[in-house]
Amino acid sequence: MFFRMMTGALLRQRGRMAMIAVTMALGASICTAMLNVMFDVGDKVNQELKSYGANLTVVPRAASFLGDLYSEAGDADMGGGADKYLAEDELPKLKTIFWAFNIVDFAPYLESSALVKSGGKSANATVHGTWFDKQFDAPTGESVQTGMGRMKSWWDVKGAWAEDGSPCCEASGMIGASLASKLGVGPGDKVSVSDRSGADVTIAGVFQSGGADDESLFVPLWLAQEISSRQGLVSRVEVSALTTPENDLARRAARDPNSLSRHEWDTWYCTAYISSIAYQIEEVISNARAKPVLQVAESEGAILQKTQLLMILLTALSLSCASLAISNLVTASVMERSAEIGLIKAVGASSFEVSALIITETMITALLGGAAGYFAGLGFAQLIGHTVFGSSIEVRPLVIPLVTLLTVTVALAGSLPAIRLLLSLRPAEVLHGR
Amino acid sequence: MMNILELNDVSMVYGQVRALSNVSMSVGQGEWLAIMGPSGSGKTTMMNIIGCMGKPTSGSVLLDGEELSKLSSAELTAIRRDKIGLIFQQFHLISYLTALENVMVAQYYHSMTDEPEALNALERVGLADRAKHLPSQLSGGEQQRVCIARALINYPRLILADEPTGNLDETNERVVLDILRGLHEGGSTIVVVTHDPEVGFEADRTVYLEHGRIAEVVKKAAEPSVVSQEEFSLQHNC
Amino acid sequence: MFFKMLVSSLVRRRSRLLAALCAVAIGGTVLLGMASISYDIPRQMGREFRSYGANMVLVASGEEALLGLEDAEKAASVIPPASLVGMTPYRYEMVRVNMQGYTAVGTVFESARKTSPYWSVTGEWPAGSDDILIGSDIAEFTGLARGSSITITGRASDGSRFSRDVTVSGVIRSGSVEDGFIIMSLPALEALMGNSGVADMAELSIAGTETELGEIASSIRAGVPNVSPRLVKRVTQSEAAVLSKLQALVVIVSAVVLVLTMICVATTMMTVVMERRREIGLKKAIGAENRSIAKEFLGEGVLLGFLGGVLGAVFGYVFAQTVCVNVFGRGIILDWKLLPLTIAVSIAVTVCACLLPVRRAVEVEPALVLRGE
Repeated sequence: MFFRMMTGALLRQRGRMAMIAVTMALGASICTAMLNVMFDVGDKVNQELKSYGANLTVVPRAASFLGDLYSEAGDADMGGGADKYLAEDELPKLKTIFWAFNIVDFAPYLESSALVKSGGKSANATVHGTWFDKQFDAPTGESVQTGMGRMKSWWDVKGAWAEDGSPCCEASGMIGASLASKLGVGPGDKVSVSDRSGADVTIAGVFQSGGADDESLFVPLWLAQEISSRQGLVSRVEVSALTTPENDLARRAARDPNSLSRHEWDTWYCTAYISSIAYQIEEVISNARAKPVLQVAESEGAILQKTQLLMILLTALSLSCASLAISNLVTASVMERSAEIGLIKAVGASSFEVSALIITETMITALLGGAAGYFAGLGFAQLIGHTVFGSSIEVRPLVIPLVTLLTVTVALAGSLPAIRLLLSLRPAEVLHGR
Repeated sequence: MMNILELNDVSMVYGQVRALSNVSMSVGQGEWLAIMGPSGSGKTTMMNIIGCMGKPTSGSVLLDGEELSKLSSAELTAIRRDKIGLIFQQFHLISYLTALENVMVAQYYHSMTDEPEALNALERVGLADRAKHLPSQLSGGEQQRVCIARALINYPRLILADEPTGNLDETNERVVLDILRGLHEGGSTIVVVTHDPEVGFEADRTVYLEHGRIAEVVKKAAEPSVVSQEEFSLQHNC
Repeated sequence: MFFKMLVSSLVRRRSRLLAALCAVAIGGTVLLGMASISYDIPRQMGREFRSYGANMVLVASGEEALLGLEDAEKAASVIPPASLVGMTPYRYEMVRVNMQGYTAVGTVFESARKTSPYWSVTGEWPAGSDDILIGSDIAEFTGLARGSSITITGRASDGSRFSRDVTVSGVIRSGSVEDGFIIMSLPALEALMGNSGVADMAELSIAGTETELGEIASSIRAGVPNVSPRLVKRVTQSEAAVLSKLQALVVIVSAVVLVLTMICVATTMMTVVMERRREIGLKKAIGAENRSIAKEFLGEGVLLGFLGGVLGAVFGYVFAQTVCVNVFGRGIILDWKLLPLTIAVSIAVTVCACLLPVRRAVEVEPALVLRGE
């Protein structure tokens, strides 16, 4: 009979129950959308913060700050040895480290100081050899596309990005705005570069970076190696990696990885802290030192934490608002049935039976609504993901138990005060007095 | 005797069900008519049609000389407001208004409120001292008396009562019947729908419905005489 | 009578009223809270983005090689003080330590810590003019550490030689050029070099959007001709990109939550009103016109919406303030225009939510309502 009464209420009072179900569905969809977005917001914002460029630089272990200072004096003469450089053919190994997936982009650089000429004008400038947009096969077999083009999103480029080309053909390059105006060149013009040997470069684009790069020329890596006779060498690599905000463990590890206990070391190594990624890069590239660029790395951490905290708080507060609103509705709609409850009590139902009936009905309705809401919420989450970040939000299975728990709690929280009130009513009053 | 209400060949069909078929009858000025019959005989339908709360599928209804079946529902509302006083089995008082205010609601929708007059109406049903009570603080009989005071407040041409004593005990039933009798003696026209023979007995005339048709009409203080439907129509429509 | 009915309905149906009021207030809370937060997010987050450091650089304009400090100060005074986080001058000179050449940087530490908050110093920031910081690369290369004493030698601006003993108070690590610098206070470097009042450049950290920065730059250019301001594109453009995404995120999330909450509010109101279908039927039976019934519910809706809206505005402010203080450690700036908006929307939602079920109820024949339990 309990079952018949329940199905009766559910099926024949469809309007009333539908209201609870719809509201539950709405609540569950807020919940699903917010939780999914909240769990994914870190990754998404992290991805956006990559527009600040590299957060790691890899330099040769022996390279000193002296190189920076005396580069104008022709550094190849000063130290000269291969230990001041990294080997270009080792770079694909970056894609073999434990956190290879988190390495978004990287680009090697080889600086040389050269005389740049165009028409009658000439200037001494730093020439950077780099990969503009390089494709190669990593040792793991996957095809990797990376290069400087993706890491200098703030460059204002007139003309086009240069292409890497190959030694057989004419090289193209990009020139900084200040240097370009000094030489009076624009996109499409040719300049000649000479260090130890000379070469001609077609200017594909003129860029403005708002920094020291505006005074320099960027050419394909192979050309820079050729003119400075440093075949197969690079002087530094900039790496852009997705990282987890630093914590105490990471800071201790950054100071001295050997100070960690075995267990701590495992945790640290298997978390995408910038220091552990740096450590892993040093493991695969011989003679290398990977330094976090604190301007980017530290700020990234701060902003990520703020954003995540903001989303968590927004989620928590809007969930509690939704829960309040829904349990309020459940209370209101259970109260509405006072006459019916009075009748059931009058024909001899115990308080327990009445409560069980109401709770079961509400639960079934709530769970049905919650299930529908979960799928609607996934839709909302994707809507948010695509409008804001232009990519989908990852669906986390963890959200399902959370939503279920919330639905059940809210349904219970809504029915209990109403049930208490209804049980305290005397059936006679309900039926006659109203 | 002038007829307040005339039903001519009225039928009411809900989907497949014929709730009323070809009923004709009339109620004279100052008459007390009771409509009786078993459940499902069409009493409620009859009450709805007389109370301007529904229009018949076919046939004509004349209330105080006005043809109801042609009116829109807004016009029906206006007729109901001006000419009919309704008394309900379940009283239907507004729970959050006091007895006095419940009476005033009817004044408010009719024209304008007049508190002394409303109080006066309560006095006539013997409830002047309970004017400030909420319905939940009143007994069933008292609630019904408020309902009657509300029905009377706008001097309706016709008082329509649906099982007015159905929810009352014997004492309260007597009180309510006494009030109705008083009204009748004062010249009001009353139609009561009931299955209580005691209430029916008070009426001048009792119409028995069965399966949507008038089965018999009984006059007060006369031997019950069975009249066929045709004869009944002849008698009352001329 | 209209007001008597309205007030009685609100006062005597207290528990239902509370449910409805609660629903409207929650709606108002979410509305005001979310709207304030999405309105204030660029300002709040913009401050956080200053952790990326300088977004404008001042250099000498034209043929001048050195930037006059007075000119830099004048340029800084063009910027509204509220949005200027800091200005730091930098002077670069070549010095020698143990015959090895280094770049010495003179700066003002107090403001450098604001414009380059990401500098990490092991040890102490220099307090006196005899204290210096060394870059981490130098520390590794030379084995110098905190507390080491070194002698700095070099050639002053007039060509004479100088030599001075200083103490390393800390090692600085930034992951970029600073790792190879010796950093000391500007007066200390000026004392060594023998001339003062000039720098190679000055870094500014300014809270504001890229457009605002552009405007500041052009007013500096106009007001202080000796100074040429340059935007650090890496910081400004990236900030604009990321910030707009973040704001879009908060706005969309707010919109979704708001719409859903408002529907919740509406359903609650509907349930509360549906309950009164019998009352509507009765009123119709005793002759109320549809219009007057609608008017009564409208009145109730307006009153409820107003009360709920006011409550919601108060709680919404608390909501927004809580979020802001917890996340950013700063209070929120409330846009007062949002207050009447919140109340108006609350009223509108409540009224709409009331009228929908009322319309359906008045369309029902009164008899059916009376009979149907």
